[in-house]
Amino acid sequence: MDVVPVVELQNLEVKLGGRTILDGLNGSLSGHCIGLLGPNGSGKSTLINTLLGFYPPSSGTAHIFGEDIKGKIKQLRALIGYMPESDAFIADMTGVRFVRYMAELSGLPAREAMERAHEAFFYVGLGEARYRKVGTYSLGMKQLVKLAQALAHGPKLILLDEPTNGLDPEARQRMLQLVRDIRDTGKVHVVISSHLLHDIEECCDEVLILNKGRIAALCNLEEERKANLKFLELEVNNENGFVHAIHQLGCECASFGNGRLKIVLPENIQLRRIYELAAEHTVQIRRMNYRRDSLEDIFLKAMEGRQEMVKGSANGRI
Amino acid sequence: MAVYKRTYKTYDGPLTPAWSRFGVVARYSFSTLFKSRIFTIFTMLCFVPVFFAIAWMYVIHSPLVQQMLGVRMGSALQINNQWFSQLLWAQAWMGFMLATAATPGMVSRDFANHALQLYLCRPLSRLEYLVGKISVIAVLLSAVTWIPGLLLFALQAQLESHGWAWDHLYLIGSIVLSGWLWIAVISLLMLALSVWVKWRIAATGLILGVFFLMPGFAEAFNAILRTKWGRVFNLPYVLNLIWEQIYRVDPRFGHINYINRLPMWSAWATVLTVCLISAWLLNQKLKAREVERG
Repeated sequence: MDVVPVVELQNLEVKLGGRTILDGLNGSLSGHCIGLLGPNGSGKSTLINTLLGFYPPSSGTAHIFGEDIKGKIKQLRALIGYMPESDAFIADMTGVRFVRYMAELSGLPAREAMERAHEAFFYVGLGEARYRKVGTYSLGMKQLVKLAQALAHGPKLILLDEPTNGLDPEARQRMLQLVRDIRDTGKVHVVISSHLLHDIEECCDEVLILNKGRIAALCNLEEERKANLKFLELEVNNENGFVHAIHQLGCECASFGNGRLKIVLPENIQLRRIYELAAEHTVQIRRMNYRRDSLEDIFLKAMEGRQEMVKGSANGRI
Repeated sequence: MAVYKRTYKTYDGPLTPAWSRFGVVARYSFSTLFKSRIFTIFTMLCFVPVFFAIAWMYVIHSPLVQQMLGVRMGSALQINNQWFSQLLWAQAWMGFMLATAATPGMVSRDFANHALQLYLCRPLSRLEYLVGKISVIAVLLSAVTWIPGLLLFALQAQLESHGWAWDHLYLIGSIVLSGWLWIAVISLLMLALSVWVKWRIAATGLILGVFFLMPGFAEAFNAILRTKWGRVFNLPYVLNLIWEQIYRVDPRFGHINYINRLPMWSAWATVLTVCLISAWLLNQKLKAREVERG
């Protein structure tokens, strides 16, 4: 059975004020938690705003849950919860009244809206502050109340634009934990826009990297993790036949001279075999770094302008 | 999701009809407005002239009360189209002050901290948001203009002989039309200026400036250029011209100078232009995101 992608971009182009902000985006995103990554000004927020129908595409289109945003944006908005990057609140309303108001605007009857507003407040950890005016909240609390209003009406897709902006480390961890909790329920898809690699890596199973309004990479982190390509950096005393033996074992290996080697260890080969080969060839392993290809590597490659699909990406085209 | 469970749950319950969402905007706006005691007291004060008008009607139709008060009402004090025109013109200005107190604050709170995007990311269009806000002004102005006007007409028809109601039947249309014309112009203009300026105090100042300073500029314009056309910038004058036409007040006896009047077509054209410019401004400025050119 075909799974309907959460977001599908079809040659999406957005021009604002005469400038091209998003330039021919193509791709299909199906993860439970999708990261939009890129430096400032790369088009992350513009993409979110376009998905919400705030900016009209100048050409191409996007689909959310299989529905075209051009024709069905109002119906789609009922399924979406949005947490904007900037301040967005009504200062002279109490927190719970504000969230209730937003839930009612999303279509919840007054009674249900009230109930869910209270629940959302407790869920994000602001239960005790719900009768205070939003204008009196700290920055971290304002971020949480923005999250509460995005959750209160029980959307099926939550768009979070830089949710950890301006938060101290503790509040940031709490926010990321909330995002992971929401993701793990499996009932909702989350799209997070951020320029912080760590935030994306901690929460997302799929990541779309944007650079200057173009897709630099579309990467399925979950598959990347499953593939579990192991990168080894070795320093040995001599390479006598060792490199050849590693190749014969089925590993990719590159020598950088002075006994420095880089090896890609496939899934079916245990690290133990490297030690065995070293012993067979009387090679001393003096240093070994063991790491996976991280999101940072993927991001840096993408920023270098490599226009190839990162290994492991499932659906996207560049 | 129960409070103690603290887990996320999607909502699968019933939803309110999509067409009724503007009502949520209106309901919350009303609720916030009437939290202010000053605003509530002022709203009550707006009904005072109506109560005086009722008392006036009663006195006119009660020889006993006239005798007790020692007054004799002459024919000049009859209740007719001019009486309704002037009473409702005064009520319209009371409504104007009420709307001036309500509108800028009602809009600026949504713009001050970028809350508008939270409205528009929901199944609520810009038009529905606008209708929600306009309906607040419309209800407030209706309550002090055409609704009491119709009630007074009904009372007068009841107290007077049958012939009066029949002779003045057109007043029903005049009361309703003048009320809605006032509502349309005031609500569109005030919302447009409030959305444009976004700052409550500045928006209030701008609204008062358009209605009280612009007439001064218009007259200065007339004096300098020796013309009468500067009055197209005098919105109260233009509205008064139309008002008198709607109430069929004889221009010679209206309180606008009979000589040098602007032609009626220019008055209607001015009002139409003001409404169109306001609608254009709202279309330009009422957006979840503003795009900076460059």
